[in-house]
Amino acid sequence: MEIKSSDKDSFRLVYDSCYKTLVRICYHVVYDLDTAQELVQEAFERFYLKNMSFPSEDEARYWLIRVAKNLALNHLRRFHREQAMVEKVKLSVATGGASSDAQKALDDSETVRQVRKAVMALPDNLRMVVILKEYGDLDYKAIGKILGITEGNVKVRVHRARKKLEEALGGDEAYVY
Amino acid sequence: MCIDEAMLSSLLDGELKEPYRSQTEEHLAHCPACRARLERLKALRSALKADSPSDEELEKGKEDCLALLERKFFSADGKKPGFFRRRIEMGLGGMVTAAAGLVVVFIGGFVLFGSSSEQTSEIIPSFTVQADSQNVHFVSTQERGLDAYSLEEILAYLDSRGYDVEISMRGLQPLE
Repeated sequence: MEIKSSDKDSFRLVYDSCYKTLVRICYHVVYDLDTAQELVQEAFERFYLKNMSFPSEDEARYWLIRVAKNLALNHLRRFHREQAMVEKVKLSVATGGASSDAQKALDDSETVRQVRKAVMALPDNLRMVVILKEYGDLDYKAIGKILGITEGNVKVRVHRARKKLEEALGGDEAYVY
Repeated sequence: MCIDEAMLSSLLDGELKEPYRSQTEEHLAHCPACRARLERLKALRSALKADSPSDEELEKGKEDCLALLERKFFSADGKKPGFFRRRIEMGLGGMVTAAAGLVVVFIGGFVLFGSSSEQTSEIIPSFTVQADSQNVHFVSTQERGLDAYSLEEILAYLDSRGYDVEISMRGLQPLE
C-alpha cells in the first residue's frame, strides 16, 4: 500500500504502528524520555512536511526510524559537549531514571544501571544495532536497510555486541538479574 | 562439536535459516552447555528490555503527540496549512541556529574582509577623512569679513557705537 506522508489516513497508520518503537529507540540513545518524545515528534513533523510517497508502510517506517535515530544522535552530540555522559547516567539512575516507574526494586535499578553502562560503552556501530534490534524489535533485514549495511553485517554486529555486553556485565554467570 | 555463538545469537533472533535451525535445535536438545549459553543470551535480552520506558508512559506520549500533530497539520476543516505558514514554522533550536548563523556571517565578514581603513576607503572614500582643523573649512554666506567693508563704512559703524576714532597717515602732520 502506498503511503503518502501528508495524507491523514496514511499518516495515522504509520504513526500508530511506529510511535512507540521510535520513542524506545530514541530513549536508548539519549536516555531521557521527554527528549526522546520531542525528537520523535520532530521526526513526524518532518515526515509530514516532506510530503513524500513511500511504496510501502515498511519503507515509511524505515525512513522515520532513520530520521529519528539521526536526530537522537545529533542531540546526543550536542549534549556531550555540555556534560560528560557518565555523569548523566549516575544522575538519572540515582533519581530513578527517566522512567517514572519508581517502584522498581533496588536490585532492578542496579541491573539497569549496569546494563545501561554496558550498552553505552559499546562502540557506536554495535550500539545502534543493539538498540534497533532489542528496542526497535526489528529484524536483520530492516536494520540493514535503516543503517545502509548488509543483513550479514547486521548479524555479525548483533553477535559481537552481545559478546561485548556479556563481558561487560561480568562474564559468564555473574549477572545481577 | 558445539554450536557457534553467532548461530545461537541468530537462533535467539529467529533468524537462523534451515537446515541450520533444525540442526541447532537438535543439538540443544542434548547439550546442556549450549542450552546454558542460549539461556544466558535470553537473560541478556531480558536485562536489556528491562531498561525501557513503561507502556503507559509511551501510550500517554503517543496520544499527546498525536493530538498536537493533528491540530497542527490536520485541522478541523481538513485543509493543509498554507505554504507560507508551513515554511515559517520553526522550532526554538532552529531559530537559535539561524540567529547564530547570522552572527557568524556578520563576524565572518569582518574576519575575512577585515576592516582596515584602506579597504573601507575603497568602499566609502570619505569615511577615513579626519575631522581636524585642516579639513574643516568654515563656509558661510551670512558673515562677511572686514575686507568686505570700506573704511568709511567701518568708521561710520564705530562712530554709531560711540567710539572716537582718530586716523592719521604716516609722515603727515595734521594741520594746526
